[in-house]
Amino acid sequence: MSDSIAEARGVRKVYDTRGVETVALDGVDFSVGEGEFAALAGPSGSGKTTLLNILGALDEPSEGSVIVAGQELGKLTATELSDLRLAKLGFVFQAYNLIPVFTARENVEFVMELQGVGAAERHARADAVLEEVGLGGLGAKRPLELSGGQQQRVAVARAIVGRPRLVLADEPTANLDSETAARLLDLMAGLNRHHGTTFLFSTHDPMVMEAARRLVRLKDGRIVDDSRSAGG
Amino acid sequence: MSLERRMAWRNVWRNRRRTGLCVAATVFAVFLVVLSVAMAAGTHEKMIEDGALLHSGHLTITGPGYLDDRTLERFLVADDDLRARLDADPAIRGWAPRIASFALLSLDRASHGAAVVGVDPERESTVTTLSERIHRGRFLSAGPSGEGSREVVLGERLAQSLGAELGDEILLYSVAYSLETAYELFTVVGTLKLPEPGLERSLSVIQLDEASRFFVYGDRLSEIALRLDSADDVEPVAARLASRLSGVEIHPWYELLPELEQFVILDDLGMYLMLAVLVVVVAFGILNTILMAILERTRELGMMMALGLRPGAVFRVVYWESTFTAGVGLLIGLLLSIPLVLVLAQNPIPLGEEMAGMTEIVGMEPVMTFKLKPLNPIGSAATILVVGALAAVYPAFKASRGRPVDALRTL
Repeated sequence: MSDSIAEARGVRKVYDTRGVETVALDGVDFSVGEGEFAALAGPSGSGKTTLLNILGALDEPSEGSVIVAGQELGKLTATELSDLRLAKLGFVFQAYNLIPVFTARENVEFVMELQGVGAAERHARADAVLEEVGLGGLGAKRPLELSGGQQQRVAVARAIVGRPRLVLADEPTANLDSETAARLLDLMAGLNRHHGTTFLFSTHDPMVMEAARRLVRLKDGRIVDDSRSAGG
Repeated sequence: MSLERRMAWRNVWRNRRRTGLCVAATVFAVFLVVLSVAMAAGTHEKMIEDGALLHSGHLTITGPGYLDDRTLERFLVADDDLRARLDADPAIRGWAPRIASFALLSLDRASHGAAVVGVDPERESTVTTLSERIHRGRFLSAGPSGEGSREVVLGERLAQSLGAELGDEILLYSVAYSLETAYELFTVVGTLKLPEPGLERSLSVIQLDEASRFFVYGDRLSEIALRLDSADDVEPVAARLASRLSGVEIHPWYELLPELEQFVILDDLGMYLMLAVLVVVVAFGILNTILMAILERTRELGMMMALGLRPGAVFRVVYWESTFTAGVGLLIGLLLSIPLVLVLAQNPIPLGEEMAGMTEIVGMEPVMTFKLKPLNPIGSAATILVVGALAAVYPAFKASRGRPVDALRTL
């Protein structure tokens, strides 16, 4: 297995809703390594999105520790967590992925602008990435002028343009028709193959599970299966 | 434009109707603030002008202690140096020497105590409007009076209580500076209609040289009233004169007319209180607009925070949204109100008959006047921007404190 980018050790997550405790993760040990194309799968409520959020420094565990890019998340402030996400992680969400007041190109540039990349380099990289995801001529369009599939492609472009070590994608194909979903998946698989970009999905889409070279199944907050395909 | 400001500016226009309503409320507030402050400034200046020009002048020079003890014992001497300095000061439009004391005025069996003010008619007309307030007859003759041509102008109410008609000779009886008894017959040549009934009931005016002879006062004076280009010049001119003149006191109009100053302060207080309420309402409007906008965009803010936007940056984006909303309203408000005030400043609005009657009673010209002082738009702008900024604090804080994961869960 390759070097670990994100690692969860004995992670337990309990949600307390008006005194009712729900265990979302129950002592999970998991790590994702450089260059992986992995998926967390399982039924609703199995804890896959919770694990993805915790590995993405968006949520904190009730117990256990999480290490991302060598840094233990529990020791970081909110601002340091923001900086870590900005520098090391990329995100693709199920919906509401883009900033509606920005064009596709500005959305892609958003992360680089936060990273402090100069304007000229920003423009060049944004154009190149948009070209790569097949949206070369649509950089000036606002999100509402794009189809769902095109919006997700912009989101993928934005997720990879900052050169993150790990891209976390939460149900990226959930709102797409099967043809568009397949094209998006091909795109991400290609990025993984050609650039070595690491992807970790949470999904219950069989197509994503099939494409993933590592499939981790969760049930009731526990990992019940962790299998790798031949290429993994 | 920075990323934060660019995002904020575009967010402002996402819901045009809501932003439009908020901007309209701000425009209305700015418009009302600028107009009200300009109207108060214009009206107060007019009141001060009218009050000062009625009798006191903008500034009054007296001998030491005269204001507390208005007797012939407290005098000043207008020597050549003093006169030259007053003539040379470019901010002084006119000055009028006066001798003021009290006398018993008698006609037949009627008698009445009154102030006797000796004035130089020519100089007096450069400072006050006394000569323009003639009700019957005429004002005092200009130039030195000859022996036997002693003239007196009485307040109309004083004339009525004495039963005096034009041409009547009334006896003025008093004590001169030399402590000798002074009494002379003066011919009534006119009566004055004054806005202050008390003054009209107790004022008699004679020529300065007659007063000097009557009170055996030599070249002494009770006071010198000054008219300046504007009431705004009172402080600097008073300071300048105080530094150059010795042995005299300089009194601004508000020391001589304290009740007018108090009225202006109270009127300002009432107006600012009303405007404060208006500004608070606008603040809540902005607060509501920004809060609604934040609520609608919770998930989007969570997504941006997930991508690496720091909490401080989220705070600043929301803060800028509020400032831009207030700023747009402010700009439009100023663009609408300033030209209007400038036009109104040149073209006072005549008041209706009823209002005109009321203003004339207090000696004011029956017009609504406006004045735009630089502090007005600057103060209005600062107030609205501060209010916009303050209204943003809570929503900005609320937006920046949220955890991305909670925001992302929001539908």
